Amino acid sequence: MSDTRSLLLEIHCEEIPARFLAPLCTEFADGVQAFIRDTLKADLAVERFYSPRKLAWRIQGLPAAQADQAETQVGPPRRMCVDGQDQPTQTGLKFAEKWGVGFDQVRFEQPAGKKEPCAVVTLTRTGRPTVDLLAEALPRLIASLHVPKAMRWGASEFQFVRPIRNLLCLFGAEVVPFQLDGVPTGATTWGHRLFHMDHPEPVPVSRPEAYEAELERAGIVVACPERRARLERQLTTLAAAAQGRVVADEHLLDTLAEIVECPTIVAGQFPESFLTLPKEVLVTSLAEHQKAFCVEDAAGALLPAFLTAANRPDDPEGFVKSGNEWVLRARLYDARFFFEEDRKQPLRERMDKLRHLTFHRELGSYFDKTQRIAALCEAMASALGLDGTDGRLVAQACKCDLVTLMVGEFPELQGVMGGEYLKREQAHEKVWRAVKEHYQPVSADSPIPASDLGGILAIADKLDTVAGCFAIGQAPTGSKDPLALRRAGQGIIRILFERDWNLNPMRIAALALDGIGAMATRPAAETMEALEAFFRDRVAHQLEQAGYPGPVRRAALAAGWTDLVDLKARCEALSAFADDPRFQSLAQSAKRIGNILKDEAPGAQLDPGLLQEPEEKVLAGLLGGLEADGDQDSLLNDLAELAGPLEAFFSAVMVKCDDPGLRAARIALLRRLQGAFLRVADFSLWQ
Amino acid sequence: MHIQELIFRLQRFWADRGCLIGQPYDLEKGAGTMNPLTFFGALGARPWNVAYVEPSRRPADGRYGENPFRLYKHLQMQVILKPSPAKVQDLYIQSLEAMGVDLRKHDLRFEEDNWEAPTLGAWGVGWQVMLDGMEISQFTYFQQVGGMDCRPVSAEITYGIERICMFLTGIDNIYDLVWGEVKTDQGVFPVSYRTVRQREEFELSAYSFEHADLDLHWKMFEAFEREGWRLLNDLGHFLSAYEQALKMSHTFNVLGARGAVSTTERPGLIKRIRDLTCACARACVAHEEQEPATLEAAKGEGVPA
Repeated sequence: MSDTRSLLLEIHCEEIPARFLAPLCTEFADGVQAFIRDTLKADLAVERFYSPRKLAWRIQGLPAAQADQAETQVGPPRRMCVDGQDQPTQTGLKFAEKWGVGFDQVRFEQPAGKKEPCAVVTLTRTGRPTVDLLAEALPRLIASLHVPKAMRWGASEFQFVRPIRNLLCLFGAEVVPFQLDGVPTGATTWGHRLFHMDHPEPVPVSRPEAYEAELERAGIVVACPERRARLERQLTTLAAAAQGRVVADEHLLDTLAEIVECPTIVAGQFPESFLTLPKEVLVTSLAEHQKAFCVEDAAGALLPAFLTAANRPDDPEGFVKSGNEWVLRARLYDARFFFEEDRKQPLRERMDKLRHLTFHRELGSYFDKTQRIAALCEAMASALGLDGTDGRLVAQACKCDLVTLMVGEFPELQGVMGGEYLKREQAHEKVWRAVKEHYQPVSADSPIPASDLGGILAIADKLDTVAGCFAIGQAPTGSKDPLALRRAGQGIIRILFERDWNLNPMRIAALALDGIGAMATRPAAETMEALEAFFRDRVAHQLEQAGYPGPVRRAALAAGWTDLVDLKARCEALSAFADDPRFQSLAQSAKRIGNILKDEAPGAQLDPGLLQEPEEKVLAGLLGGLEADGDQDSLLNDLAELAGPLEAFFSAVMVKCDDPGLRAARIALLRRLQGAFLRVADFSLWQ
Repeated sequence: MHIQELIFRLQRFWADRGCLIGQPYDLEKGAGTMNPLTFFGALGARPWNVAYVEPSRRPADGRYGENPFRLYKHLQMQVILKPSPAKVQDLYIQSLEAMGVDLRKHDLRFEEDNWEAPTLGAWGVGWQVMLDGMEISQFTYFQQVGGMDCRPVSAEITYGIERICMFLTGIDNIYDLVWGEVKTDQGVFPVSYRTVRQREEFELSAYSFEHADLDLHWKMFEAFEREGWRLLNDLGHFLSAYEQALKMSHTFNVLGARGAVSTTERPGLIKRIRDLTCACARACVAHEEQEPATLEAAKGEGVPA
């Protein structure tokens, strides 16, 4: 491509919510990339930029115009276009005229699908200038962006994420002319508000390549990764200067990089007296209220210091520091007030208050829930060889923090506060740890409870919610899962799976459902059926998360999933054979066996003496080894060895033969083989 | 900076930019948005710029006059600009400068904070405005009010007067703020927020947490509701009916602070208030469409272009 240019588009808005920046930027980039591929036949990378007030994209190496395209037009048959003397008829002349060519340029060919030669002209369609194509496509692409919480402003009907105040769009040095909601494109943009206090005019952008540099001169670092990197460097430096290190919070760092245009870290202090608060309270309070990081010493103890971001290059008179310190003092004052008020009463004395805290309209109060969890915990602890009384004890304490002031203020500290208060009340470590951990895992990649009792309590709590909601007809449907039951169910399965706990999910679900008792509005059998499908899906998802290949997951799951320890062992063993070609053959044979047995009633015992062909006798001889107890690996080895004999069997033996005795023997043989397969996996799903 | 000086400056600023200066509405309410100047002003197509101070009661936030940062009743400075002007953020920034904030030295951010008032059938999108890490204003583009789409859209700016005053003065305790000065023959006496309001905070907190008669409040809630619907249905009087809805709302807040409203009941009660406010809003819009003549004056004297 000889003549190429760069495209730059920037939508300058009032402050866009941080959470929408990256998704909108990506969606538009994908859209414009597809458009360029379709119209300009070029596969080009789209550079993405965003800041609180800007969404921008740059594409380098775009052709200045579409390539010319040859286009063939087919007209009437030859016999209508020329007369007997090969002279053009009226029809022929009209055809040429229609396409703006002389009759001498009309050819006669037989196009595909026509029965006779027709008039044909080939026209060269001149490629359109890229700038025109862009001027048509870009506003359409912007308007079609999927904006999750779109708004209107002023008197217009136009909708976008926030009001659009300026459009910069350059193709090379040329402005791509279009407008959106009355805002025309131009070659200028706006820098940082501080910059414009001294420079009232908009900032000219000379060419797309100069975009970042020219914005940086106007006070804005427009590339988010660059802002993040700068913030991270300053955090490290300033934490070291405060004799500590940053309490890492990747999510907070992402957020800060998204909410400032001019990234600067400001360090501040808070009064040391607040360090009597639990670390979690300080970390949460600083992060949630002030978007600030805590600083800790080498031993992990917090220092009375914080680090937060400002949207300006400096803090000339210390106002940013003192302002943030002022707000933080107010916040921590509140937090300490809550903490001290809460500690005036032992945590467990709040049990009665739980009677007035509704868990769910149809499932009673948190007091009711606590009683149910206690029974479940006791049963589960006993089943796992732990002390059942401990289970009951932690369950009864675990929801008391919901009625503390601190959790009222910071709902995300539920569990954590209960644990902290119990710890300060000299509760046994296993008790306070269990309470502290019982909401875990809070997400797919966050930790599960580390302690046994914490794991049991976490399962019991979640299972009570899941079973209860299913019992009153509130199971998740399609994309609707308002009570986050799928996440709760996944947590249960993940804990069982990762802890290698031999607890059948359906058995404990049945116990949980017993606890719901008369509150259930659906028949128990129906609920259990729904729960079975639900947990099976959760187990399937867990296997996927654990990284087992598709055939392994499908085949292993179909052979039974309620014994998770056994399922895991089978998946491990099967994974070792995932690429073994013998398993492909085995899968074929397993399918044939399934098809044959599908129509057969369960029949008699196998009488090996009735078998006639050597191929079937071989198989019968292998049965003993297959059915013997042994580890999964050796069983799988035996199964792999079976692939060849099975192939031989199916090519040599007609199972459904006329001799009823022989036929029954063969059916019985296949049934035994199928039984052996299903101890590990349903190989008919191995594909 | 005294409380009253801050209010004067903001009122002067917005009056100079084409706003009517309204007065607080003389009924208890939780936020300046509930003042009819905003609730009805944001409806319909008529241009409407108004600014006023609204004392806003949040019974559950009462702290008996002891907490240096929280109040049962605080002052909101409320600005409505309809339709929202293109330079509305710049206007707002100028108002900060009018309060005496030199933005060359401070950190200003607009962080996402969407607003919703379920009892008013109202929601909007916007920001909390952060100055050096403190929320000093709420900034909202109304999308719906009274259950109806806002066409055109109003911009609403709400300043928390006490907080801003604390911030500007560096004072760490609301009650140490200075309301203003009293000049007498004997001299000039600064009067603190404590003198003006602390006893009121104590008594009103005690009332909403301990002494409010629950039975009476439940009866009042029902009675205001009946009265509101009667006024609206029998007479088509949406302003007096709306007053009844405001009284329902405050009664509901007192019941909430007393812990008398369960989480299960809450949405139902909110809906009963919303049903009435939304019906008032619809009646107001229908009235304006039917009787445009009565609005001629307002239209003619609308906002300067």
